Amino acid sequence: MAARRKRSPARSKASREFVAEVDELLERMRADLADLGDQRARGSLVPDLVNRLFRSSHTLKGVAGMFGFEGIGALSHRLEDILDDLRMGRLDPRAPALDLLDEAVAVLAVEVELVGRDEATPEGSAELLQLQTRIEAALHHDPVAVAPPESLGVDESLFRALTEYEEHRLRESLRSGRLLYVVEAGFDLLAFEDGLAELSEASRALGEIISTLPAPGDTPESQIRFSLIVASELDRETFERRLDVAAARVRPVPAGRAETKPDADSEDGRAEGNAGDVATTPAAAREQARDDRPSALPEATLPGDTDVSDELHLRPADDLESLKSISETVRVDIRKLDELMNLVGELVIQRGAIGAIAEKLLGEPSVARLARELAKAHKMLDRKLQELQAGVLEVRMVPMRQVFEKLSRVVRRLRREAGKDARLEIHGGDTELDKLIVEELADPLMHLVRNAFDHALEPPGERVAAGKPAEGTIRLEAYQRGNHVVIEVSDDGRGIDLEVVRARAVARGLVAPDALLTPRQTLDLILLPGFSTREEITETSGRGVGMDVVRENVTALGGLVHVTSRRGHGTTISLTLPITLAIIQALVVGVGDQRFAIPLTAVLETLLVDPVEILRSEGRELLNLRGEPIRLRRLHAEFGLTAPAAGARQAVVVVGLGDVRAGLLVDRLEGQQDAVLKPIQGPVRTVHGIAGATELGDRGTVLVVDVAALIEDTGRRREAA
Amino acid sequence: MQHILIVEDSPTMRSLVISALEELGEPVRISEAASGFEALRALPRDQYDLIVTDINMPDINGLELVSFVKGNAAYRSIPLLIISTEGSERDRLRGLELGADAYLVKPFEPEILRRTARELLAKIRED
Repeated sequence: MAARRKRSPARSKASREFVAEVDELLERMRADLADLGDQRARGSLVPDLVNRLFRSSHTLKGVAGMFGFEGIGALSHRLEDILDDLRMGRLDPRAPALDLLDEAVAVLAVEVELVGRDEATPEGSAELLQLQTRIEAALHHDPVAVAPPESLGVDESLFRALTEYEEHRLRESLRSGRLLYVVEAGFDLLAFEDGLAELSEASRALGEIISTLPAPGDTPESQIRFSLIVASELDRETFERRLDVAAARVRPVPAGRAETKPDADSEDGRAEGNAGDVATTPAAAREQARDDRPSALPEATLPGDTDVSDELHLRPADDLESLKSISETVRVDIRKLDELMNLVGELVIQRGAIGAIAEKLLGEPSVARLARELAKAHKMLDRKLQELQAGVLEVRMVPMRQVFEKLSRVVRRLRREAGKDARLEIHGGDTELDKLIVEELADPLMHLVRNAFDHALEPPGERVAAGKPAEGTIRLEAYQRGNHVVIEVSDDGRGIDLEVVRARAVARGLVAPDALLTPRQTLDLILLPGFSTREEITETSGRGVGMDVVRENVTALGGLVHVTSRRGHGTTISLTLPITLAIIQALVVGVGDQRFAIPLTAVLETLLVDPVEILRSEGRELLNLRGEPIRLRRLHAEFGLTAPAAGARQAVVVVGLGDVRAGLLVDRLEGQQDAVLKPIQGPVRTVHGIAGATELGDRGTVLVVDVAALIEDTGRRREAA
Repeated sequence: MQHILIVEDSPTMRSLVISALEELGEPVRISEAASGFEALRALPRDQYDLIVTDINMPDINGLELVSFVKGNAAYRSIPLLIISTEGSERDRLRGLELGADAYLVKPFEPEILRRTARELLAKIRED
């Protein structure tokens, strides 16, 4: 084997890539190990899961080796050994060595964190070395009896491309008396994945897919044929009947009969498996002789177990202790977290009520001492509740990477289907957001990326002519700004043609033909309902979803959409979102006889103004805020409430989202409070400017102002004038 | 310009292979496939002078890809190099029997990869 690269671990982009990939591998392994733990406890392992774990550790070993992290490489090599033994039936699924897997993954995670901070040494930490020794000791099982690999007794030509593992699964299947079928179907070469996925799923329902072998189709330029080798307990008739895929052809693989068969006889190098002529080819015999890896009979490691079927069976565990999971991570249903969050929210409200009582009591001289103690206890409760709240919120946070990865798969698929090259750059995948928000963002982001790919990026010829690289770039970036997270989707495509946008908006009656619009306002037109047309739906951008739906989804999350574009240089769509939806701190304001809550994240400042300070210009009301005019909106007018008596001093809540600011005129400021936002179902939902409702302890239910909606109107009106 | 197709599911490994091959000393074009399926789609879309593939991949494995390439008249003549992490000796031999032209074990020295790639690229030029 080649000499190991001797060099100190690189501190480069490559090493960041390394950390990102290893993190991902470890995350997948953690999840798979949790499943493996369950399966061991139940006494039956699913081969696919074990194989996936093996592949993860194998990849881990490979990349660590390339980067010269010998310690990580050696420990993942040990993992790989254990998992290889397990998948090849050489290790009892109850073996104590398996109990060390979770720990190894945890140790590797710590080590990779060190790599990320440039604090790792090539040979690895002391914990890592120590664990390696422990695994070696645990793995020291007596060598199992090695049975000479026997002939498979089936048509070998189909099986020439099986890996050692796949061949092991094949032998296992034959040994357990299952029948082998070849399920074949032809597909269009450029779009085979969906059809193949359907075929695989249908086959998997009937047995175990051992191998997926591609071969040229009848017209090799445009077609591809896949042969799935499936092991199943069903007889041929049942198998064929239940494999409900129209295009598929099923043929059984005759087993255990002799045949003589030259290797590549049919035109495409594959044999048609005629019953009655099977044998090992000389080549196969040679391979088997060379096969230096021990391959044990499973009976040797699973004594007494004859019921071998779809899963690797264990005898009922008499030593349950050793099966105890040592996993340090737990996977939780998001709905349970929602319930927990609701509960915390209700506690927060109760705390508010207690606070109010304490405050009232403080005014009663007769109970002053008790009141002070209550106030103190309340303060302590307050602090602990804040910690609890922060803790629950933290659990809900997930990195944007999860969505970004889905998007990069989408781009890869688009690339294949459209035959157009585009690079996807991803930045800030570590930025965290509430899981709920991340999920809600998946569709809008998908749409933005598809839009960029389909419409924004020019064909390569056009790009080169414009002096740009032939391959376009789509860039996804997430970063935190204050209490918000900004997610940007940019492209280096043709940019938005303001004239075309304007012309279309006029044609659709969204704007008057003679309206004076700034560039920014013109861009905002694409966010209006009815702007996108169904005429130009492409297969990929399809579904007739326009930018208005993107905006609607983002607004529903309390966010804001902002478009910037430079003709010939590209377009950036940025989404500004709150970090969480679950609990907001709100400023409670009074308007007439009603109360409203304004999310504190959007509040910049509050002030009191005399009516004379309010300027009027062209039907708009403005306030001079330290030299800068901001647009005022009267909440009475917005929500159809009675206006206060003229001449009274009024409170202004200055709100901002992104870089747009506005002042909301209210009657009273009633203080700050935690609020649990509950979406409103039913007719109220359609009220413009209301985001939802919240309960405020002793003050009952109040409506939450949708700052984003009010500000957007303000922005548009500000520039429209 | 000669065209190399790299089939590898690990992004890190892919970029290491690419950066090694970018210093080949002769201009080459490099395309990437992150899975066996992607490779199957990439093949008919372009002309390739060398295929570099991993064995352990999630959808179809490298051996299945080798069998497809070498069993297909249109692609048979493209030199094929397997790069795989130290593992099953049997799989390595199987790959060569299926028609792979060379085999490298990871971790490899970039220079050895370049030398092998140069030899294979020269071979197809002569043909």
